[in-house]
Amino acid sequence: MALEGRLRDAGMKSERLLWPTKGPSRFEQEVDDLERRVGLTTLEKAVAWAQTNSMWPDTFGLACCAIEMMSIVSSRYDIARFGMEPFRGSPRQADLLIVSGRVSNKMAAPLRQIYDQMLEPKWVIAMGACASSGGMFNNYAVVQSVDKIVAVDIYVPGCPPRPEQLMEGIIRLHEAVRAGVPPAYEIRSVAS
Amino acid sequence: MAVAERRRTGAPIYEGSRIPQPTPTVLRTPPDLAATGDILTVNFGPNHPSTHGVLRLVVDLYGEDVTGLEAVIGYLHTGFEKNMEQKTWWKAITYPERIDYVSFQNNELVFVLAIEKLLDLQVPPKAEWMRTCLCELNRLHSHLVWLGTSALELGAISMFWYAFRERDQILDLFEMVCGTRMHTRYFQAGGLAEDIPRGFFPEARKFCDWMPRAIDDYETLLTRNQIWLERTQGLGLLSAADAVALGQSGPVLRASGVNWDIRQNEPYLAYGKIDFRVPVYPAGDVYARYRVHMDEMRESVRIVEQCLDRLETMEGDPWIADDRKVVLPPRHELHTSMESLIHHFKIVTEGYRVPEGEVYVAIESPRGELGCYVVSDGGPKPWRVKFRAPSFVALEATATCMSDALIADMIAIVGSLDTVMGEVDR
Amino acid sequence: MSLEDVPGLVEVKEAHGETTVVVEPTELVAACTYLRDEEGFNFLSDVSAADYLGWGRAGVSGYVGTPVGRDLNRPMTQGYQALPGAKPKRFAMSYHLLQLAERPRRLRVQTWLDDGEAVPTVLGVWPTADWHEREAWDLMGIPVDGHPNLKRILMDDDWEGHPLRKDYPIGGEPVRFSGEE
Repeated sequence: MALEGRLRDAGMKSERLLWPTKGPSRFEQEVDDLERRVGLTTLEKAVAWAQTNSMWPDTFGLACCAIEMMSIVSSRYDIARFGMEPFRGSPRQADLLIVSGRVSNKMAAPLRQIYDQMLEPKWVIAMGACASSGGMFNNYAVVQSVDKIVAVDIYVPGCPPRPEQLMEGIIRLHEAVRAGVPPAYEIRSVAS
Repeated sequence: MAVAERRRTGAPIYEGSRIPQPTPTVLRTPPDLAATGDILTVNFGPNHPSTHGVLRLVVDLYGEDVTGLEAVIGYLHTGFEKNMEQKTWWKAITYPERIDYVSFQNNELVFVLAIEKLLDLQVPPKAEWMRTCLCELNRLHSHLVWLGTSALELGAISMFWYAFRERDQILDLFEMVCGTRMHTRYFQAGGLAEDIPRGFFPEARKFCDWMPRAIDDYETLLTRNQIWLERTQGLGLLSAADAVALGQSGPVLRASGVNWDIRQNEPYLAYGKIDFRVPVYPAGDVYARYRVHMDEMRESVRIVEQCLDRLETMEGDPWIADDRKVVLPPRHELHTSMESLIHHFKIVTEGYRVPEGEVYVAIESPRGELGCYVVSDGGPKPWRVKFRAPSFVALEATATCMSDALIADMIAIVGSLDTVMGEVDR
Repeated sequence: MSLEDVPGLVEVKEAHGETTVVVEPTELVAACTYLRDEEGFNFLSDVSAADYLGWGRAGVSGYVGTPVGRDLNRPMTQGYQALPGAKPKRFAMSYHLLQLAERPRRLRVQTWLDDGEAVPTVLGVWPTADWHEREAWDLMGIPVDGHPNLKRILMDDDWEGHPLRKDYPIGGEPVRFSGEE
């Protein structure tokens, strides 16, 4: 398996990539496919560098995770050092959609609308347990994972995730972009 | 009236009632204005940087005047109440925290108080005082988040960073005691989950010494700031009679001149033994609500200091009730006592049983009267849990407060009602 | 001027330090007006609906309990000490009232309803009941007579069913290895 290869050389530190593999699984195949498409020219590297250093999030705070998302803007956890402190109100000016909080069935349509209004390239972070999988709310009202609605790049677990955890998710996203991993909508569609 | 008039400071509260008819929560454009054809209906959709969370306001505008308003909620409906019916009493305590996610410990508290009322369980004094201390720290936390976000929406952007600086200090205290910053799950039926750790008291004292100076900073920035005064005074007027009729409570009610605070009038926990003031302002506008919040922050610091004074004398006291049918036995007993082992087993696997009955407990959360109506059928799971959320009721007052407001005022008014959409939609 | 004079009174219960006044649904508005004007309960805290479908039905382990006690000779009720007493009808609407005064008093006004039976609106007595009654309609399916704006409030406008009823499933996804449902 060509796992030790370009993604790790490109600086990605995800531990899934560093585990010795026992055999082909869907995740490793996906990574394999990715690596065949990864291969950045200098210009693309420069573009990726620019994209990651100024990836403006959209204000999509829904519930408790939104409060922790607000606190990475605060001075202690300071997301401005990554160039991400302007949370744009309009999705047309935003690159990153941090879905922070539980998505109810009523909110699913506006979420998809906001996502569609964003211009490409766009990335999605599912922040928190509720956005990643429905969280503790396995019931009629909450969409069990936001990847049923939009294509998600990074899942950040936690209830709510500490600001440092969200920062880790954002940094991994930056690494992935710099390695050349395409945004999620090019790789996979929404879950079923 | 498309141009804003300069508001007189100290505008008198209005005569009569401004609650719209026939529906109290829907402000309808008067028919003569509607007939002009100049009405623009705008949707302040669920995703908006200035509404607190996922609130949708459908607004009729005549120029810049708000002539019609309807609030549409439900975008964060999570089915808490139904989910709690599926879990045992112990596990269900994690759910209320996420309802009002800014003042999480107050939510836990109200549910745990309801369970204890049904069980008729006495809580040791150390747990009462510590619960009071944590709930007041949570009140500070909630008011800081409110201050930061409300000021941010009105343009005083730097307030956000100042308020969140203190907020992070409070969350550090929570992390020290409860293990996590938010959604701490520290209250159990019978007391606290664990003893108060060493090192909490000096850190809390340091915070209490620092906080009044921080509040002075905030007041320096805002209280006599001409822009802030012009944007908040005389707006969102709500008379005392209208506020009571609309079921308002908490800072909104106290800013309309009604001296009602559950901590003072129906004391629970240790509030009956603490000396604190309740700020009441008669003006009924956004500025009065701001003043109430700021004064409450000062009072909360004083309450926390009194709790710390008392808690430091209770070193070594029990922090949870002794009733083994409800409370887990201490771990060292499991090695020696068979009964403790059986109790532990039954409580963990099946859960404790709460006798049949129905109970309504109300506490003063930072937003107002937070009530919990619990019906038990004698079994290990709740039969029905209903939370009376103060923000749900506060949003009912938006239509009344919105009489002669402009769009920019609308943001200030909705912000001053201090709504948290998790509570509203549950 | 006491609780015995409330119009439509069925009974007055006291438990856990709380007083519950049960009234007939047809007399609800008269009772609430009386309580607001004569007794001084000027603040409506909360309107809660509860569904008692399946109340007191036994499970499958333990000794069976009846309202008069346990019967060791018949199996099983999940170890309930005693089965809870029967409820008059399926739904209960509880109005939690508060008197804002130096010595505040709290009261619960309760009415019992069958499935589909409507409750009159108390909007005219306390305007705050507006959204509470809409929520009772939306989540429990209790129709409210005379409400000017009885639409769904928390669920989608075109949602079918009333989620908080006991015969409405919890929903969500099936999860492997889950101890609960």
